[in-house]
Amino acid sequence: MKARKRPLFPTIVLGAVLLLLNLPILAVAINSLNAGDTVTDWTGVSLRWFGEIIGDDRIRAAFWNSVVIGLLATVVSVVIGVMTTLAARLLPKRAQTAFTLTTYARLILPEVVTAVGLYLLFSYLGIGFGVATVVVGHALFCSAYATVVIQARYAGISDRYADAAADLGARPMRAFRRVTVPLLAPALFVSALLSFAFSFDDVLSTTFLSGPDTETLPILMMGMIRQHVTPEVNAIAATVMIVTLAAVALLVAVTNVRSVAGTRDRPQS
Amino acid sequence: MSASGNTRSRLQTKTSQARVPRRFRGWALATPPMLFTLIFFIAPLALLVLYSFGQMDILTFQISFGWTTENWRTVFTGIYASALLRSVVLSVVSTALCVLIGFPAALGMTRMPARMQNILLLAVIVPYWISFVVRNYAWLTLLGPDGMVTRCLEAVHVVDVGKDLRYTSTAIVIGMVSSYLPLMILPIYVALERIDPAVLDAAADLGLHGVHAFRRVVLPLSAPGLIAGVLLVGVPATGEYTIPAILGGGKTLMVGNVIRDKFLGVGDFPLGSALAATLMALLIVVLVASRKRIRQLEDVL
Repeated sequence: MKARKRPLFPTIVLGAVLLLLNLPILAVAINSLNAGDTVTDWTGVSLRWFGEIIGDDRIRAAFWNSVVIGLLATVVSVVIGVMTTLAARLLPKRAQTAFTLTTYARLILPEVVTAVGLYLLFSYLGIGFGVATVVVGHALFCSAYATVVIQARYAGISDRYADAAADLGARPMRAFRRVTVPLLAPALFVSALLSFAFSFDDVLSTTFLSGPDTETLPILMMGMIRQHVTPEVNAIAATVMIVTLAAVALLVAVTNVRSVAGTRDRPQS
Repeated sequence: MSASGNTRSRLQTKTSQARVPRRFRGWALATPPMLFTLIFFIAPLALLVLYSFGQMDILTFQISFGWTTENWRTVFTGIYASALLRSVVLSVVSTALCVLIGFPAALGMTRMPARMQNILLLAVIVPYWISFVVRNYAWLTLLGPDGMVTRCLEAVHVVDVGKDLRYTSTAIVIGMVSSYLPLMILPIYVALERIDPAVLDAAADLGLHGVHAFRRVVLPLSAPGLIAGVLLVGVPATGEYTIPAILGGGKTLMVGNVIRDKFLGVGDFPLGSALAATLMALLIVVLVASRKRIRQLEDVL
């Protein structure tokens, strides 16, 4: 069979899309290296502004807040994802449906609705806003992503493996640790990186749930953008990009492009 | 199967013995995520609906649950109705543009050599992974009076010299399209990629070519991916906060920004709740209306 011919119009659109998606990012990366005092005047290449942001206490504090919140939200999300996935197979059909429904509802409802709901709950109960409340807010949607990713992998893992471990005398906990976890490992890894990336980038839930004393990097950036577009913002933006790109590179190295893109076919059960 | 009767009976007793602890283990595992969902998802939504029927005393800022429908009437008047309408319009426009751009782009991707397709997938996905704030901040600088995009448009006389393209609905749409486009391209690409080339050959043999083959064969077969993309883009875009906050500059408000101001600015919880509940109800109606399609969607994701 001859190769299907490459149509002109879609190829042109594809090129335009790649430009549209990557041009803004490239612009930020280049601007962050500008030595000048303003964003618009190009005076030469330097790492000056990276030095400035590392020396800034407020920016450093925001960075570590983002990292800590991201890690905590990731742990909570992956644990919930694993528990939901394992429980679903052991439970009656009706309970499984309820689980699936609440997972997808968390994914589909706009974030502003769930964030406002949590804001009302914590204010109503008189719980102070801070790192813990932000972690809950992030885990609410990150755990839904984690559940979907882990469930897709678990669907391809037959009970036979864990049963075989049980036949060989392994107690449930040991069978879980030695058989199920290694089989789930790629999905755990992907869901952890997804959760961290979503948490690290979140604006809306953090706006509602962080209170006045806890500032994350995206919130700090939003404030700086609204006041002035300063060269510091470019350097922070470039730093955030580097963190994200490192995570993606790690993912591609460990798994493959298609699982990162979420387009890998479901494993056959 | 050549299992001896001995092993089989052993296996059977094993499963029947395991049945009770198996279900018990299921519920033990299910309890923490269930509690998490109940406390942090179901209860807040119930509280949200409850608050939307409450009242705030303008002088004391005290909130009482009086079962008034006043907030709900306010939602559909004046600036609130126009913020809701603007959100829906900007979301629909952005989603439509994503379809018009995303479909040909996905089609173009499937026609590339396999190795090239993986690189293109990365080029589409990596920008999506990069922070929303960073990407839209980038557009803010590109669309400013000295920005690269503005300069280029000036050069071809599309806009006047010194024009500021920021803080407009157009800027928000540009931000939304470039932010959400990967979520449109990916499911369409997956659906297109799954179409068996033999089907297209069969269509060609039966006399369907070009536009006709596209309309009668490619489009119907890629519909699940298209619908998935529309939902993945349209739903979050309606409740978007970050993009209008950056590119709208507080001037072009969408409902997400109004809700934030009601809670964190004015402290009018009941009205803010009514607005959030309206947004939720609106999207639930859309989702229920496309329920059948969502079931197909699970195959694509």
